[in-house]
Amino acid sequence: MLQPFAYIRPTSTNEALEHLAAEGACAHAGGTDLLGCLRDGVFSAHKVVSLAGCEDLRGITARDDGSVRIGALTKVADVARDPVLSERYPVLVQAAAAVASPQLRNQGTLGGNLCQRPRCWYYRGHFPCLRKGGDTCYALAGENQYHCVLGGSRCYIAHPSDTAPALMSLGASVRIQGLHGARTVALDEFYVPPATDVQRETVLAQGEIVTEIVIPAPPRGLRSTYRKVRGRGAWDFALVGIAAALVVDGGTVRDGRIVLSGAAPVPWRSTESEAAVRGTQLTTADCRRAAEAAVRDAQPLKRNGYKIPLLRGVIEEALRGLA
Amino acid sequence: MTDHADYHLEGLEIPETPVPQSGTEPWTTTTVVGTARPRVDAYELVSGTAVYPSDVVLPRMLYGAILRCPHPHATVRSIDTSAASSLPGVHAVLTGAGPHHASVRDYASVLESTLPATCRYEGQAVAAVAADDPYVAADALRAITVEYDVHPFVADERRALDDDAALVHPDGNRVGEPSRSSRGDLARGFAEADVVLEESYRTECEIHVPMEYHGCVARWDGDALTLWESTQGVFSVQSAVASTLQLPLSKVRVIGHYVGGGFGSKLQMDSSTLLAALLARQTARPVKLFLTREETLLVVGNRPPANMHIRAGAKRDGTLTALEFTATGTGGAFRAGGTSLLEWLARDLYECPNVATETTDIYINAGPARPFRAPGHPQGAWALEQMMDALAAAIEMDPVEFRLKNIPSRSQARPGMPPYSITGLARCLQEGAEAFDWVASRQATRQQDPGATWKRGVGMAAGLWIAGAGGPPSTAIVKVFSDGSVNLNLGASDIGTGTKTVMAMVLAEELGIDPDAVQIEHADTGTTAYATGSGGSKTVPTESPAVRAAAVDVKTQLLALAAEDLGVDASTLAVREGRVTSTDDATVSRAFAEIRGLRRRGTVTGIGYRGPNPADKAVCPFAAQFCEVEVNTGTGEVRIVRFLGTNDSGRVMNRLTYQNQVFGGITMGIGLAMTEARILDVDQTGKMVNLNLHDYKVPTALDVPADMTCHPIDLPDAEANTTGAKGIGEPATVPTAPAIANAVYDAVGVRLTSTTLDPAHVIAALAATGKGG
Amino acid sequence: MGNDTSDPDRHERPPGSGVSRRGFLSSVGTGALSAAVASRAAAEGVPPDAVVQATELSKVALHINGQRHEVLVEARWSLAYVLRERLGLGGTKVSCERGECGACTVLIDGVPRYACMTLAVEAAERSITTIEGLLEGEELGTTQQAFAEHDAFQCGYCTPGQIMAVEGLVRVNAHPSSDEIRLGTSGNLCRCGAYAHILAAARRAAELRRGGGGEA
Repeated sequence: MLQPFAYIRPTSTNEALEHLAAEGACAHAGGTDLLGCLRDGVFSAHKVVSLAGCEDLRGITARDDGSVRIGALTKVADVARDPVLSERYPVLVQAAAAVASPQLRNQGTLGGNLCQRPRCWYYRGHFPCLRKGGDTCYALAGENQYHCVLGGSRCYIAHPSDTAPALMSLGASVRIQGLHGARTVALDEFYVPPATDVQRETVLAQGEIVTEIVIPAPPRGLRSTYRKVRGRGAWDFALVGIAAALVVDGGTVRDGRIVLSGAAPVPWRSTESEAAVRGTQLTTADCRRAAEAAVRDAQPLKRNGYKIPLLRGVIEEALRGLA
Repeated sequence: MTDHADYHLEGLEIPETPVPQSGTEPWTTTTVVGTARPRVDAYELVSGTAVYPSDVVLPRMLYGAILRCPHPHATVRSIDTSAASSLPGVHAVLTGAGPHHASVRDYASVLESTLPATCRYEGQAVAAVAADDPYVAADALRAITVEYDVHPFVADERRALDDDAALVHPDGNRVGEPSRSSRGDLARGFAEADVVLEESYRTECEIHVPMEYHGCVARWDGDALTLWESTQGVFSVQSAVASTLQLPLSKVRVIGHYVGGGFGSKLQMDSSTLLAALLARQTARPVKLFLTREETLLVVGNRPPANMHIRAGAKRDGTLTALEFTATGTGGAFRAGGTSLLEWLARDLYECPNVATETTDIYINAGPARPFRAPGHPQGAWALEQMMDALAAAIEMDPVEFRLKNIPSRSQARPGMPPYSITGLARCLQEGAEAFDWVASRQATRQQDPGATWKRGVGMAAGLWIAGAGGPPSTAIVKVFSDGSVNLNLGASDIGTGTKTVMAMVLAEELGIDPDAVQIEHADTGTTAYATGSGGSKTVPTESPAVRAAAVDVKTQLLALAAEDLGVDASTLAVREGRVTSTDDATVSRAFAEIRGLRRRGTVTGIGYRGPNPADKAVCPFAAQFCEVEVNTGTGEVRIVRFLGTNDSGRVMNRLTYQNQVFGGITMGIGLAMTEARILDVDQTGKMVNLNLHDYKVPTALDVPADMTCHPIDLPDAEANTTGAKGIGEPATVPTAPAIANAVYDAVGVRLTSTTLDPAHVIAALAATGKGG
Repeated sequence: MGNDTSDPDRHERPPGSGVSRRGFLSSVGTGALSAAVASRAAAEGVPPDAVVQATELSKVALHINGQRHEVLVEARWSLAYVLRERLGLGGTKVSCERGECGACTVLIDGVPRYACMTLAVEAAERSITTIEGLLEGEELGTTQQAFAEHDAFQCGYCTPGQIMAVEGLVRVNAHPSSDEIRLGTSGNLCRCGAYAHILAAARRAAELRRGGGGEA
């Protein structure tokens, strides 16, 4: 049962930002992650600021320059079934369709999916962990089967989002707005690894929100896919996954991005894998090399060693599928 | 040795019922029983109008909540409830130590034991509150300050017998002596074998997760207590509450018209019911106290983890010569059957002269186990049925064929080895294999492309369920009103298996009426006849003969009354289509409502009792299941393509609800095999880490195959009881998990001996054996 | 309360479908809203334009099953709680209260959502349909009827949520495939494991909705 909080539903984004500037104010978009965190006492909210009245934060717009703008309050379900996105960016609609459950996709927003808090069970549970201001990462010596094998440092969460790796593979950026101004940040720069700051996952400052996501025009020859492996058919975060967006010209990979989910504390761009695949014809051997490159620096914890063969398998399969 | 059939009633005093009347010879033909019939309460269930205990809202009702110990092992040093008590909207705060309000002072010892100072598992109750709404109740729990002395704990039974393990109880972590059984000469059996195999197996702890939380609404009217309780047995709750609170049984009314699932975890009273009753008493207001999902995951039972080892021998001709089964398990911090019935299948499923078993129950600092759908059996099957598969491979025999060579005709595990009334196992195996197209399917998996990413495999397994015979006591009352309409009164709960529907069908069969015309009063200790809890797959075989006997009783009376009207001998009359009609002359007939004797009396009442089971026979349901899977050799993902269940559960009473049970059993078995495991932080805090339904993974619609087949073997068991039915709910989940594991082996050649078969474990196994893609 | 005929969620139903039964209980008690809140101060004002303080009651209008309900709620109260415990609409069940089981599924503006993860204040002025709202008087709606015919439940506790998920699906997809149905109901746990029958019922629900009455 939730603790008491004040509530306001402003009628404009500016007004919402005014309310969000206060210490202890939390933005309520779809609410699916916020209410879960409040219920578990992960953090508390003095004031919940509903963004339901911020009409300008909704909608999917194809722009003249070929890019697509997605309002941060766009439901994940709407992303998953959008015809324009479906045609241009299969990786994104596949990732959106793989999120949580139908009802949560109907409620959760794309902005919220990018900004969701970690799903580490120590973080979510009643454990005073490092990320909550304690002095221990319980995952390090504990039940770490679902934790990271890449990029861990002090804290070993695995980033939970499906859409973030997909958007990152497409080179997307987010527009961030606060009371004192707005800025655009590439998704590559949006996430904060624990080595930098163990108590935050994004560059958002108190009072700032993501207002929109912009995906650049798809380059000619773009082939993209999202492949997620999970323990249960629905309602499950990725054990691992891969978002791949490759530019293929005449059967040869010219460029592209490979981003892993479930592997690291942030959506993990594998430049090693990208380099391995560039210039190849995506033969089985090419894909296997790219898969191998992705896990070369992986360091498993006690119970998540399986993620290494699993990453190999899923990367190889996904890349083969783009050939 | 005790009769395991009554495992879930252990310690309960069961009143005996008289033997039933005659007139219930086996049905030769049926017109209603055996058909596929939607439920008599389908309207209530689909319209949202069925009132479950958790739906009850009473005027002036308060909401209860329980503060629970966050540590697996701790002592309450001090507890400060002053801030909670002074919160607006908080009406009562109970602790074990008190001081207690005058209205509950008589129950100080109950409070002390229900809210104990020493907590031996995470989630043990420490305090309870009642408030205006559940949000304020939660605020009150947060406002209570408890200081704990935190003690060392042990949360893994595999380490609990180590010398340096923390002690759950001062006298050690063993729950008594290991339980042993043996027959024949094991050494000779192994000496005779051509092949001897040995393997260790493990199943993880599985939690019941019924959709409706455990709990009740409690209301006092003077010295009488009414409880609307989510339970599988209103009389067991009544008995436990009455004895604990020292109330006459007549003053404790427990109503459980609907229950949102139980699977064994709601056969007994939970201590939260006592707290609800005492909160209601102290506040003199009704109190609704339902646990949260987190609480249900911690404290109201589980299927214990099982660590099993089998050594088995067989001859090349398929004769099983020796079986040695050892296992450890844990029922948590208290004696709760941590290894209950694990060994039963090894002792009973196949003909084998030389068998020895040993099971060791161990304490750990975790929530107590409760009976869970076929206690011990799915775990034992996981081990035995994978071993049977491996033995079949070792002697190069088809696994169906191998099992058919070892069909038992008698229950070897029971004293005196009584014969089974019917062993439908062979027919399950034969007809199931045929319906599944087993031989051809198996051949096909051997001819697939070795380079394919997704590999196909087929697997099968068999099982039986120790109970499922039912038995006395049961009393049913049938009342025919002057207009010919019919009321059935029985104490049993319908836990979702369709009990009410089946009973209405039995009544309809005997009285020639429409099952939908039967009004049923049930599961209310204030108004219905005594019944044992609905569990053990015994409800239909227990209650349906009593209902049939009551129908025959009322029919006999109606025939006699009609005979007076018609001036004929009652023996020339029969009942059909709601009328009494002469067997000689169809024009000599009276509708029930036209029978003068009935109209004069207003009602005619028949009473039926459940007779005893055959003294010299064992009555058990049997099952076999077949499945086909696809395994991704690169990712370890397992897709179940199709499943087929065959069952000998005696007479098929309702084809539709029977099938539903079979599919439900398979689905639950898929959970055991593939997705479900309680995960404790064994190395650090001992706390459960996957304490929600996202991290504790109950299968979804996407985890079960769209292609499911139920292939009943309809074998009315005339020796078992007067309807010929045996239980179906539990046997339906026994073979599922090993059938999947065997199919995975068939696909990729790797034997997964520990649950769960999720991609993490499967890919790890594939990688370890070099069989990954 | 009054009839809200402009409710966009009121769908035409095909003729000749449905089962009716008289005299069912809605709940044992009354769930009387006015009595329940009388002891606590009611604040004036409606959420959108003023801050509602913690534990303060504010008045919101919920449009449920075509009726407008003005209710006093705390900001932290879930829609599921208000439906079940304040308005006596016990058909909507709760089984996790954290969006992980689906028992509380209702339609909000025609779309299946979890009432436990929806604050009542957030549902203000939206159109809410609960399991009770699928009834036409006492007659079962087509999806309800399909579930009854196919025995698409056991204990019945997840059933209202399953029905609402299927209802939401067949309203936008007249011919759902097996995979679409399994996906569409994948946000609703059924611990009894009636998924196979739910699949059959969902196919039947689509058929009934298309006007294909008669026997299954």
